[in-house]
Amino acid sequence: MNGEVAKAPELYKDGRRLDGRALDELRPIKIEARVLNDADGSAYIEWGKNKILAGVYGPSECIPRHDQSLYRSVIRCRYNMAPFSGLEEHGKGGPSRRSKELSKVIKEAFENVIISENFPKTQIEIFVEVLQSDGGTRCAALTAAAVALADAGIPMKDLICAVAVGKIAGHMAVDPSKEEDNFGESDMPIAFSLRTGEILLFQMDGLLTKEELAKGFSLARAAAEKIHKIQVDAIKKVYTEPKEERLLLIK
Amino acid sequence: MTHSRIVIPGELLSDRAEQIPYAFVEKGKTYSTVVGLFSEGKLVPLEGPYEPLEGDIVVGVISEVKFSGYSVEINSPYIAFLSSREIRERYSMGDAILARISMVDEVKNIELSDAKKLPQGRLVKSSSVKIPRIIGKKNSMISLLQSATGCEIYAGRNGYIWISGKGDQSLAERAIRIIEVQAHTQGLTDRIAAFLKSHSKG
Repeated sequence: MNGEVAKAPELYKDGRRLDGRALDELRPIKIEARVLNDADGSAYIEWGKNKILAGVYGPSECIPRHDQSLYRSVIRCRYNMAPFSGLEEHGKGGPSRRSKELSKVIKEAFENVIISENFPKTQIEIFVEVLQSDGGTRCAALTAAAVALADAGIPMKDLICAVAVGKIAGHMAVDPSKEEDNFGESDMPIAFSLRTGEILLFQMDGLLTKEELAKGFSLARAAAEKIHKIQVDAIKKVYTEPKEERLLLIK
Repeated sequence: MTHSRIVIPGELLSDRAEQIPYAFVEKGKTYSTVVGLFSEGKLVPLEGPYEPLEGDIVVGVISEVKFSGYSVEINSPYIAFLSSREIRERYSMGDAILARISMVDEVKNIELSDAKKLPQGRLVKSSSVKIPRIIGKKNSMISLLQSATGCEIYAGRNGYIWISGKGDQSLAERAIRIIEVQAHTQGLTDRIAAFLKSHSKG
């Protein structure tokens, strides 16, 4: 970048955002469950320009054994960005401070809903691969991982989902894209358990007033309802509209 | 079979506290924990791991020969143990057996008993949640499979199925794969009967 500071684009103009969305509008989201043959559960999500694969294995014997618990299953998560997933420091791939952090927060969100007491001495592994990133990958990753876990038949107290809200050009807006995140004032990813209204992940970058936080919160909550519906549809579709290759078996 | 609906984890099943397998109760209401079919107060999971229970008849594969017995792989996260005292025959690694789970403790140590070596055949790895459908109501599906293919079929609770005998084993395996993907649909026995009829030799 030659030390130049990129010029901030005009993020909000005439009631429209950069990509033409309204403030409370999500990017288009598509989820498909059961996309991998050899994982116990899997899901693929396209969230705007984000493309993310999630695979779940387990419960299986926990290795190494000193990590085992006699009381519950150990939940593990690996969030990883593919080397070609994006530009700049996000796109380098491999383990990094950032991917460690996201693995940890996603794992901790799921520890609240997975009924792990059913499977002592085991592990449940969640793998998330970001193929293409465009802001909000942790929310998209968590949303896809929830579908993959349900697909694997792992007992959970709720199907959780996540969405971010940001402050762009002085307005609270749901689901900020990469530009809005980079040039906006604040970014706040939140994961919900909608059944109870609990918050399972809550982070914030930048500064917000109390009122802005409350506004962002209700925006996120309303968006989460929409995302949850897409998740449910994706899971049901596995059974109501099975893929052609599965139907080919009968002939 | 009456009309049933597909439920997802966290979906409300009942406004009262009810004891339903694969469901949980919170604040006096009952919710599902799995993706499953729900009808008339019964929740049948569509996916999920095998949870060993005492008394289950399982098909297992000997994975290790030990001084005092055998480790047996039973399609679960936990390895079962079969003591030499329980049996008269000797097994070697890779042998398939039919056995009963005689004990499961709180940390899921599993012991087997009443083992019997299975005759020459093939192992079909299915899932424990599909087994009720593969067996069918009053064994209707499995006896249909056996009579139409001429095979002997042993379906373990754990999701492993052993096919042996002189019959058409490949056809039996294909039929089982079809039952697997269509386990949640209705009128399956009739469709399988038609499939077997159109594909059986002679």
